[in-house]
Amino acid sequence: MKDWAAIAKASGLDIPAKDLSRASQALNGLDEVFRPLAAGLTPDMEPAATFSADQEQA
Amino acid sequence: MTIREAAESLRRRQISAVELTTAALSRIERSNPTLRAFITVTAERALQQARQADSELAAGKDRGPLHGIPAAVKDLFFTRGVLTTGGSPIYRNFVPDEDAFAVARLQAAGAVMLGKLNMHELAYGITSANPHFGAVANPWNARHSPGGSSGGSGAAVAAGLVYAALGTDTGGSIRIPASFCGTVGLKPTYGRVSRRGVLPLSWSLDHVGPLASSVRDAGLVLNAIAGHDPADASSSRRPVVDFVPDDDCPVRGLRIGFPRNFFFERLESDVELCVRGAIARLEFLGAEVKPVTLPDISALNAVGRMILLCEASAVLEPHLKDRGQFGPDVLALLDQGRLLPATDYIHAQRLRKQMQREFARIWSSVDCLVAPTTPNTAPRIGDATVKLGGIEEDVRLATTRLVRSINLLGLPALSIPCGLSGGGLPVGLQIIGPPFEEALILRVGAALEDGGVGIPPSPMM
Repeated sequence: MKDWAAIAKASGLDIPAKDLSRASQALNGLDEVFRPLAAGLTPDMEPAATFSADQEQA
Repeated sequence: MTIREAAESLRRRQISAVELTTAALSRIERSNPTLRAFITVTAERALQQARQADSELAAGKDRGPLHGIPAAVKDLFFTRGVLTTGGSPIYRNFVPDEDAFAVARLQAAGAVMLGKLNMHELAYGITSANPHFGAVANPWNARHSPGGSSGGSGAAVAAGLVYAALGTDTGGSIRIPASFCGTVGLKPTYGRVSRRGVLPLSWSLDHVGPLASSVRDAGLVLNAIAGHDPADASSSRRPVVDFVPDDDCPVRGLRIGFPRNFFFERLESDVELCVRGAIARLEFLGAEVKPVTLPDISALNAVGRMILLCEASAVLEPHLKDRGQFGPDVLALLDQGRLLPATDYIHAQRLRKQMQREFARIWSSVDCLVAPTTPNTAPRIGDATVKLGGIEEDVRLATTRLVRSINLLGLPALSIPCGLSGGGLPVGLQIIGPPFEEALILRVGAALEDGGVGIPPSPMM
């Protein structure tokens, strides 16, 4: 599990301890499902970005 | 009365737009203290628009089926000269100087705009228990939630305050209130309707769509608001077709899949009963109904949550200096999003593409999918958890369980009422199609409606 309190401190986020504890609990649950999925990605899989040079020029 | 019926009455001069609007305003005055569906009612403006609609029709200028029809929009659509709060004190004084693309389209089609509808704060939640503008109540039972985040839109349509409403759907926010309030709700394909002039929650997941009292009415509204907008980078150039199903819309021979996995797990028993009844009706109507195994939906949901958390926190970060402006549930989600690293967001967008490819394979074996919209009927206002299949679940996670993945995939999905629970609350059936196949899922929905699947009007109608 990640140390969300340390991440908050390192990012300079001013989140009260009680709120941080609640956020950590939810994020741990999400991370448990998400981490193995992310670990299975191969480098050829690009993100679903919406940027389009054509659109920018339009 | 449906939009089609009202439109026919208007053209036969049996009723005027002013009369339709006056009646709607009276119903709002009577019901809104209980429902809290509207944040702002624009009565004078509506009557002015209605008078204009009548004059135009008398002069032979007919803008089409929405001409003179009372409607309203969720309070995150920009409306020129009208307060647009997003259900939050952050925007307490925000009066846009232009209309959202979809609002402008509705008005160009002649719709009479009655005002701005209450919603979950900043569209970031599913209860519409708004701490700043009051908890929206469900017209079927005012002690119950209408769902959200477009809760005012669902309640207003179900109570007959408007003929149609616009909502937005980032993780189910059109389909959930449609399911809980017993209305039709359509989340079109991502890119089908412009997001321009809509307060964003999550740029890559937000969708604009209609809520209405019939499938054909939802199609009429989609006809008005769909189309390319060069000012929205995600707006599609796909041609717009007529989305309104014909009077005779057969489903014979259509291959309709129902998921073997995930979608029928941990449902309220009445939800399962009603949904299976609707599926049996499709079979009776001649559709080829068959079970299908879908990719891992819980993985799709996790990826969808990751993207939403990151994008929403990026949208709202400038306002987080004053934490007191947010309700506790929204603040909790914003804190979560700020803690996530950029790499996770990028991984999530990569997984999204991978999952899109995997899911697309399903369309070689079926034309569309049917499933419950929500595993539960409307919970009571204030309930933080629901118990499903013996497991106590967070109400937000439970309620979004069957809808969130569809936002990630950008697919069109329709929710129609398919029955009432023993407690007298509506049950929603979800029809999911391949990209840009709104006409197909509306056809299936209309066939079910014509085939007798539906519910009576709400007690507040």
